[in-house]
Amino acid sequence: MLPRLRALRAAGVAALALLLAVAPASAGVSQVRLKLPLKPRLPLRGNERLALAPFILVTEAEKARDKRLQNVDLQGEFHRFLKKQVDKKTKLEVIETPPDLKLPTQNLAELSRATEFWRSVGVTTGADVIVSGSLEFRIEDRSGYKTEEYVSPINGQTYYRQVYVEQTGFLFDIVFLVFDGHTGEKLLQDEFKDFRQTGGRRADELQGLFENLFSLENQILNLFVAREREADRYLFTD
Amino acid sequence: MRGTAWAMAALLLASGCASYDRTERAKSQIAFGSEVARKGLWREAAFRFEQAIAREPGNARAHNNLAVALEATGEFARALTEYKKALELGPNDSYIRRNYARFAEFYTSYTRTTGKAAGAP
Repeated sequence: MLPRLRALRAAGVAALALLLAVAPASAGVSQVRLKLPLKPRLPLRGNERLALAPFILVTEAEKARDKRLQNVDLQGEFHRFLKKQVDKKTKLEVIETPPDLKLPTQNLAELSRATEFWRSVGVTTGADVIVSGSLEFRIEDRSGYKTEEYVSPINGQTYYRQVYVEQTGFLFDIVFLVFDGHTGEKLLQDEFKDFRQTGGRRADELQGLFENLFSLENQILNLFVAREREADRYLFTD
Repeated sequence: MRGTAWAMAALLLASGCASYDRTERAKSQIAFGSEVARKGLWREAAFRFEQAIAREPGNARAHNNLAVALEATGEFARALTEYKKALELGPNDSYIRRNYARFAEFYTSYTRTTGKAAGAP
């Protein structure tokens, strides 16, 4: 009888604690989700001709060492992704630059100052704006021993033990440089980063790349067109 | 002398009743406004919260709700003013503080990208 009474009392205390915990949120306050408009970062009309120039590949030198990076055509995949998104979600006209177009430098700071080069690209392609920058994609093996809590089923005591955890991380870092196709002047420079972690050592690198890209999709498109962002706010109800 | 005392008492009672009535009417406007806000009718909600403020200007909750409604309709500069007013009237209210902090984060990045206070006349 005594344990039953104790259990009932514990349940009562738990219920009261729960009631107290939710009381402030339910007593005259509710949470609402807003869709906030985000203005485009670039002052465009919306129907400009946009040229996609090559990007500097930051991890190119690591390809020789990491075989998994060799399976990813970063330049090609990123161009294809960007063209598809811009075509689908904006009214900008996407122009591919000539396939033999070579960047004058592999240094990002110098590239952002190469006004003459970008003006000539603008003349050749007839583009109003030109997009370039740098791309970095890394596959990080984060597997290793981690400390884990363990409760012994024999004596109920807590112990700590080392377990081997297999994890792969995908890091994507992109710096956008946007140039005026008529003057070659830099209009904007911005950087976006994303890191995804998956269980297992043999996680697919292309899947990892696209997970990175889709999580950055909204921010990338917001360079060119207005987007929305969700935000939670509290509203008093009395 | 006794007449004056009675008159004073009556005046106090009347002003008390009027104040109570104003608070009640402000509350009903807030209740209605928050109900339509949850249905996404933010302009109607903003109007109701403005009515609540007109009846009770010192109501921090009404200022907070108006700020949220203005934010939802893209009037960020006015929302900022209302959040500040709400915080001034209810500095210890955790909901108002959290709303203001989240709005400030958004508004800072928004004005950084657009280069000016959006929604400003």
